Amino acid sequence: MRETRRMSSKSLYILAVIVFPVITILFFCSLMKEGVPAKMPIAIVDLDQTATSRKMARNIDVTPASHVVMHLTSEKEAMSALRSGDIYGFAVLPENMQADLMTNRQPVVRYYYHNGLFIAGGLLRNDFASITNTLSAGINLQRGESRGMSEQAIMSQIQPVQLNTHLLFNPTANYPTYVTTIILPIMMQIFILMITVYCIGIEIKEKTSREWLKASGKSVTVALIGKLLPYTVIFLILMMFQNFMIYKILMVPMHAGIGWITLASLLFVLAYQAIGIFCIGLLPLMRHSLNLAAFYGILALSLCGFSFPTESMSPVFQLWAYGFPVRHFMHIFQSQILAGFEPVYSAGAFISLFVFLLLPLVVINRLKSALIYQNFIENIHKTDILAGQA
Amino acid sequence: MKEQLKNTIRRINSGFLNTLKIWLREYQVIFTDVGVLIVMIAAPLVYPVLYSLIYKPEIITDMPIAIVDLSRSADSRQFSRQLDATQELRVAYMATSMTDAIKQFKLRNVRGIIEIPSSFSKDIAQGNQTNISAYADMEFFLYYKTLLLGTSFVTLETGKQIQFRNLVQQGETLQEADAAVNPIHIEDTSIANAVGGFATYAIPVALMLIIQQTLILAIGIMAGTARERHARGTLVPLDKNKMGTFRLVIGKSAAYFTVYALLCVYLLGIIPQMFGYYRLADFKELAALMTPFLLSCIFFGMTLSVLFKNRESPMLLFLFTSFPLFFLSGIIWPLSNFSNIWLIVREIFPSSNAVFGYIKMNTLGASITETSHEITALWIQTGVYFLTACLVYYVQVKLSERKNKEIKTFPINSIKQKLAGRLSGNTIATTSGVK
Repeated sequence: MRETRRMSSKSLYILAVIVFPVITILFFCSLMKEGVPAKMPIAIVDLDQTATSRKMARNIDVTPASHVVMHLTSEKEAMSALRSGDIYGFAVLPENMQADLMTNRQPVVRYYYHNGLFIAGGLLRNDFASITNTLSAGINLQRGESRGMSEQAIMSQIQPVQLNTHLLFNPTANYPTYVTTIILPIMMQIFILMITVYCIGIEIKEKTSREWLKASGKSVTVALIGKLLPYTVIFLILMMFQNFMIYKILMVPMHAGIGWITLASLLFVLAYQAIGIFCIGLLPLMRHSLNLAAFYGILALSLCGFSFPTESMSPVFQLWAYGFPVRHFMHIFQSQILAGFEPVYSAGAFISLFVFLLLPLVVINRLKSALIYQNFIENIHKTDILAGQA
Repeated sequence: MKEQLKNTIRRINSGFLNTLKIWLREYQVIFTDVGVLIVMIAAPLVYPVLYSLIYKPEIITDMPIAIVDLSRSADSRQFSRQLDATQELRVAYMATSMTDAIKQFKLRNVRGIIEIPSSFSKDIAQGNQTNISAYADMEFFLYYKTLLLGTSFVTLETGKQIQFRNLVQQGETLQEADAAVNPIHIEDTSIANAVGGFATYAIPVALMLIIQQTLILAIGIMAGTARERHARGTLVPLDKNKMGTFRLVIGKSAAYFTVYALLCVYLLGIIPQMFGYYRLADFKELAALMTPFLLSCIFFGMTLSVLFKNRESPMLLFLFTSFPLFFLSGIIWPLSNFSNIWLIVREIFPSSNAVFGYIKMNTLGASITETSHEITALWIQTGVYFLTACLVYYVQVKLSERKNKEIKTFPINSIKQKLAGRLSGNTIATTSGVK
């Protein structure tokens, strides 16, 4: 087809269709390869300087999330280090901590953590809390045992109700599973949208649309299919490469067959191509339709419910969220692939993806007239055409 | 000597006037192009409001959960009511069995399951430890966090009540009892974002990224448009007046800078006020950070702009960086856990340091000295990108001059043919030279 030749001829296409998508896939796969951030820098302000306080500092250092990089002498210093970004949190072990412990005077240990960082703050807080609890329990056990109580009796006194947390359907509590699996389709939709709008829009802009239409027997449908098919193939290959990275390299659990994954990926690509056609059909002036597609594509991250659950947003945004194929794709991924639920639970999402495919029908006549009459061409003023001769 | 001085003054004078002219002309370019206006004015005005509205709830409230109550006692019903009463959770379904609860979970009617064991009431009465199981939805990090927050609160409260009951029975005073149970008191203080609201995490990043991305896109679009309009596809017009590189770069930057300085008042002043975000940084601190940030973005944008051959390509080639840049800022994934490659890539984009610096100043209350690392990095970027922008424009000015000469010396038709052949060769040469 005409399009394939055109594609391979311009570096713009190669960059936007192959190079950049592959780079972003690699970027997101490698960024969070650790799974859970480990050994984040923290500081200890040890005002006690006794065996107990030093033991506690060591205990904090060996927790998975924290790594003591500084021993400071005052809270003020530590706060400044936190503000400068050298550390993400610190613990203050009070004066007389050991003595207070001996005499039952409940020393107060203070923790500070930088909660402006999304993951780091929460992890450090958990670490700090668990280390203190362990220490408290240890002290209690020692005391209770000296009084001749059984361990079980002590534990039920300290903690009458215990909470056991189980992770449902995603035993690997790590970040690539949350983040990479969703952010990659979100990236991909931007590429698909942009290139779809561009490859149709450029025909109108460069006034080659009549020639294009003629080549496809004056049928817009044939013309569009012919034009977009090469991209469908390329993006499907990219999606499969992405799936390969997610399930085989990052080892995200995969509980559905490859057939389902391929089907979902294909529908995803087609749905976004359909939206691309809708954009250019609605606003055949390319720069405006590109703006529209960009506006829509960028919002996908916020509105698909991945960063912040849609259910907690206001009703307007909940409705709006249905307009993003990536949301339905995410649903299929979470329910069918990650959790391994029966396909019936994701049927709604598949149907929604199909509905997007009907979008081009709404604008096809408008697009056809735009292709024929070319009445949406911006006037380019050649401002300096004769400047040299003047 | 005097003559020489006079000459210099005249040159400075003309240079100044020329810069001023370019500056004013750039306003004209900006404000007469709807596409540029949308990117440069409408997007920065609309996006922050939209994002703030989307993330307005900040935290999840009343997340639906199912309860599998195997105890069916007064104690377990009390426990369920307490769960329902938390801000975080809402008991949406009382399940008869775990299978029943999981079915609701699959249908997405509930986002977590709490199982109360059959021995719950008996354990409490006999002073044994009892186990509550919480099954969390691991699809969304925030759901997991919310379930834990709500359940552990209720569990601790119930635990405390039982303790008090037991200890009063044993005849101990409250203070003694507390000291016995908690040998160490914990005071945990979150610096910045005490409630862990999502908007507070995301909006500062969004603000900085909006500034950088719209600036670079707008500059790219204007450069692409310039190439389309100028007859020979050059970036710099083939004008009669010779345009100095410095005059061009400085004149254009001044126009962008003033527009964005005004936008910053809106983005960093009005928006946080309107939605009640942290505002610990004063004007002085913000100015110290934003000045190098805006300048480095402008020069970076001008450097990149030679790569864009038409007005659509910046959207195609640059828009997608927004999401990776969000992650490169170091707000989501901590910087201490970045691999070296990405730390280097991070330094290419002004937004990375600006986001970090802005959060430090605005939500932690860091001073200028405590943000010196970020500010220095931004000034270095400003310097480097100023040089590259000048270099790029120098090449472009020379290119325009050469074409100008060709047009003057050759009859028009032969030039047309010649250029048609040459144009592709020439443009490739310039871009690869820049890279």
